[in-house]
Amino acid sequence: MMAKWRRIWSLSIKEFIHLRSDWWLPVFMLIGGAIELLAVGWATSRPITNLPLMVLDHDRSAASRSFVVNLHNTEIFNLEAEVYGVAVIEDALRLGEINAAVIIPPDFSSELSSPAGRPIVAVILNGAESIPATAALRAIEGVTREMGDRILVQRLGLQTEEFEGFIPSLRVWFNESLSEALYTTPAELGLMLEFTVLLFAALSFTRERELGTLEHLLVMPFSTLELVIGKSIPVVLVGFIDFILMLGVTHWAFGVPVRGSVALLLTLAFVYILVELSKGLMISVMAKTQHQAFLLVMMLGLSDFMFTGYAAPVESMPQVIQWVANFIPAHHFLAIMRGILLKGTGMEVLWPHVLALIVLGLFIGGFSMRFVRRSLS
Amino acid sequence: MIAESSTIVTENLIKRFGEFTAVDDVSFVVHPGEIFGFLGPNGSGKTTTIRMMLGLLTPTSGNVEVLGVPVLEQPEAIRCRVGYMSQRFSLYSDLTVLQNLRFYGTAYGLSNKELNQQIDRALQMAGLEGRENVRTHELSGGWRQRLALGAAILHEPEVLFLDEPTAGVDPLSRRDFWELLYQLVADGVTVFVTTHYMDEAEHCHRLALLQRGQIIASGSPDEMRNQGMHGQVLEIVSSDSARAVKVLRAAKIEGRLPLESVELYGSLVHVIAERVESLQDALALELKQSEIESGRMAVIEPSLEDVFIAYMRD
Repeated sequence: MMAKWRRIWSLSIKEFIHLRSDWWLPVFMLIGGAIELLAVGWATSRPITNLPLMVLDHDRSAASRSFVVNLHNTEIFNLEAEVYGVAVIEDALRLGEINAAVIIPPDFSSELSSPAGRPIVAVILNGAESIPATAALRAIEGVTREMGDRILVQRLGLQTEEFEGFIPSLRVWFNESLSEALYTTPAELGLMLEFTVLLFAALSFTRERELGTLEHLLVMPFSTLELVIGKSIPVVLVGFIDFILMLGVTHWAFGVPVRGSVALLLTLAFVYILVELSKGLMISVMAKTQHQAFLLVMMLGLSDFMFTGYAAPVESMPQVIQWVANFIPAHHFLAIMRGILLKGTGMEVLWPHVLALIVLGLFIGGFSMRFVRRSLS
Repeated sequence: MIAESSTIVTENLIKRFGEFTAVDDVSFVVHPGEIFGFLGPNGSGKTTTIRMMLGLLTPTSGNVEVLGVPVLEQPEAIRCRVGYMSQRFSLYSDLTVLQNLRFYGTAYGLSNKELNQQIDRALQMAGLEGRENVRTHELSGGWRQRLALGAAILHEPEVLFLDEPTAGVDPLSRRDFWELLYQLVADGVTVFVTTHYMDEAEHCHRLALLQRGQIIASGSPDEMRNQGMHGQVLEIVSSDSARAVKVLRAAKIEGRLPLESVELYGSLVHVIAERVESLQDALALELKQSEIESGRMAVIEPSLEDVFIAYMRD
């Protein structure tokens, strides 16, 4: 038993020495994730503002001006220019200089004030950049709805205070300010952790194969399990430190709260690292070169990207993809992280995801172990 | 029946990769305490055979026993009793001399005390005392070779498998390396070594000559010399050896001279024939007609290279 652990330890020590002499790899693994997280979190933590807007005002009345001022007050737009011809707007859109343009027709104020009038403004959005376009649309709709309500009140002959329309009474739970960062940074964290662990694990055996040292390892008195454990210890350790660093960044830099149990979070992160490790080891024995291993990691990591809910919530994806998501460890880990961090929930709520993670882990781990054993012997 | 005293026994070993037969019905026996050479050109199946002997590769059919252990069934039973050093480098180039030795020693289960003793021995053997903290990629070929050998024998194996250990190393280092092997054999280690350097065959106690996956000859160097040659070797100094070889081969094919073979040997020509000394005048005349001056001619003891070429032509 002692001899066994001595052997395993000798292998882990060797792996750590490799890490030290190949310094960019551990630096990339430990710091890269945290830096990436800082950059992405910082870039996405601010709400959309200052979208460049052009206005072509044919009416030039008090009413049209007040409409433009209302748009400006939403803070979504930055009034790029008031222009006098449609051609300027077309050029600016084509060059990508503006995200939206508003054209106010000459009869705007008269339609607004006549009892049966139908005031209309033309809006042009730059759909090539769909996220700003959606934000612009929402802002313009808000302004027009408000003005529409006021017209209604006037035409009904009511006082403004008497009118109460249909409005939701809004309370946002878990993320009071609806901060984008609270949603994206945990997703980014899960993804970076996956990449780190996968890449590190995937290089473990491929590297030795490429150097020609693998057959020496196989001739030495290591069993397959000992080889796997010895190679895995550094991966798990680096992955875990990486996770804690990144968790620190999300908490201290972006104010992502940790409302649930830290111990539970760390335990489940450990489980998640083991699951990703198994995937990485499988890649490691499948790939013939480090190059191939790297490409496989990219492929796997980028397809999992979809299921972290980073780009779009999984709930709004087609049924088939939602079904596939159940088999993606990253998807469950993200659900667990959001639950513990934002909602402060524990096992009583998270158990289906924890169970799924463990079942997937056992399945992938078992398969990977068999695969490693077969290809190494 | 497998003899009790054999260290390595292979029986009818065959390995096919698809259509290609890399090792074709190879059988041989290695006795304790000898250096057994496995000689053949690149791609003749040497490495494939050694990999099967170590349990790294499963043969298509046949048997391997090392130290009385059937390797196919129990590869792990021989791991601690054999050492291995390969053509592709056994050391980790980003680890220092000492780190490499420590890794090998610990992996083979040496205690701290044994480890320190064995590391001292290996450093002394490789002549690397005082350079323990040099990374191995900074060492030149000969040093690395000796260090790799040192790492392979840290755990005092009974059998040593060496796969092209001297490939790409300068002649002086190669000679030093063979000196080390003789020391090991004197300590009772059995050595199985592959090489494609013909001249290294002389260093082996016994050897097998491999061609296209088959053993075409085997025995001690002397036995092979005696059995393999039909005739004697005549060494000819000439003004244009390359052209002389062409001329004499033409004469052989056209039946004008009863020659077994004609080979270029460095700047000399080696002619093999029965009673070759009686052909000296005819050879000189043949060369003269093609305006090639021939100088000293002498019947010489055949080198193993002559013998192997004779075998491979057959």
